[in-house]
Amino acid sequence: MNSHDVTVLGYLAVLLAGIVLQLLATRTRAPIPSLGKVIAWAMSTRTRRVGILVAWAWVGLHFFAR
Amino acid sequence: MMARPWRSRPGGPSSRDQSAAGREPGDEGAGRGRGGVPPGGVRAAPSHLVTALAGLREPIVVILLIIGFMSWISGKPLDGLLILLAGVSLAWDAGRRSRQARPAEAGPAKAGPAEASPAEASPAKAGPAEASPAEASPAEAGPAEAGPTDREDAILTAAAAAPPPASVTAADSGPGAPAAPVAAGQAGGPQARASWRRPALLAAWLAAGVLYAVVVGSFSRYSWPATVPVAGLGAAVVAIGWRAPRPARPARARLPAAGLALWGLLFVAACLWELWSLLEQPNLATSSYTHPTISTLTDPMLGTWAGRSVVLAGWLGLGWFLVER
Repeated sequence: MNSHDVTVLGYLAVLLAGIVLQLLATRTRAPIPSLGKVIAWAMSTRTRRVGILVAWAWVGLHFFAR
Repeated sequence: MMARPWRSRPGGPSSRDQSAAGREPGDEGAGRGRGGVPPGGVRAAPSHLVTALAGLREPIVVILLIIGFMSWISGKPLDGLLILLAGVSLAWDAGRRSRQARPAEAGPAKAGPAEASPAEASPAKAGPAEASPAEASPAEAGPAEAGPTDREDAILTAAAAAPPPASVTAADSGPGAPAAPVAAGQAGGPQARASWRRPALLAAWLAAGVLYAVVVGSFSRYSWPATVPVAGLGAAVVAIGWRAPRPARPARARLPAAGLALWGLLFVAACLWELWSLLEQPNLATSSYTHPTISTLTDPMLGTWAGRSVVLAGWLGLGWFLVER
């Protein structure tokens, strides 16, 4: 296993952890909010809402714009 | 979940009115803000720099500034500049609203016995139940976590969530039409029209989104034809999010702190892993196969028209999801 594989595995581990958290939130009674609820909470003030929308816009710019 | 007596009151002020009311002393929840400012202009007006620095208390502002800085030094100065500008604007806005809310804390101190309650000082605009931000969003904005900007947003949210007054319902149906039959949702009334308008509107938005993804995806990356629609849409969505109050939503329960912390931990871990990969590159502007960033891993997919269209569709879907929250 080389460094490339380790790096990719790191991303996959983060993704897997997110899926596990989401499953725990939606399929069990664990005190974990679902990702949708977390985002809804984060969007509940204007500063956070605009900040998150700016971050979303940045993703588009980063991958497609000059 | 606490009841919201102001929600059931018809004829409440509009969100714009509420927003304006929220800026007046006494409407923001006296004595619950951070810090203190002597009342009545004893302290000179703060400079823009100080106002912006006050906005840095918002974590999202700090995150945006970090993203902007990293984009700048990674060879994407336009991205970085735009994000830095957005971050500074947001910091200034948050700081300004925070400072506008502070005089509210001094309201009761100035007020005489007859003005002991800020809400009572302005009964035409807000009753006691309406004026309390804690009740406006009891589940989300507790005293420990809600700053002045949060409280103003709570008022905006409450105004957006309030049912429209009966007079508005009647006005929608045309002049002279009685309110009661319209409210009952007769055939051809607003409810009947809404029943087919929403799916039609949804289909139109979906078609527009697919068209956008296919057309913009046909342009090569980092070209001006790709830059203009992406930047334009991003700017439009941010502007809408900045101006508009949140849509009407039922109150949500307070989120468990431990679960919230787990999601935060995951977000930080993802950011750190990406940062580590970025710093392991030969330089910040040169990708590395050994330590690929997410951008490097997605390059092959984004090299094709279909791949770009799929990613653009996902980006649009995520934006829709966020706007709908």
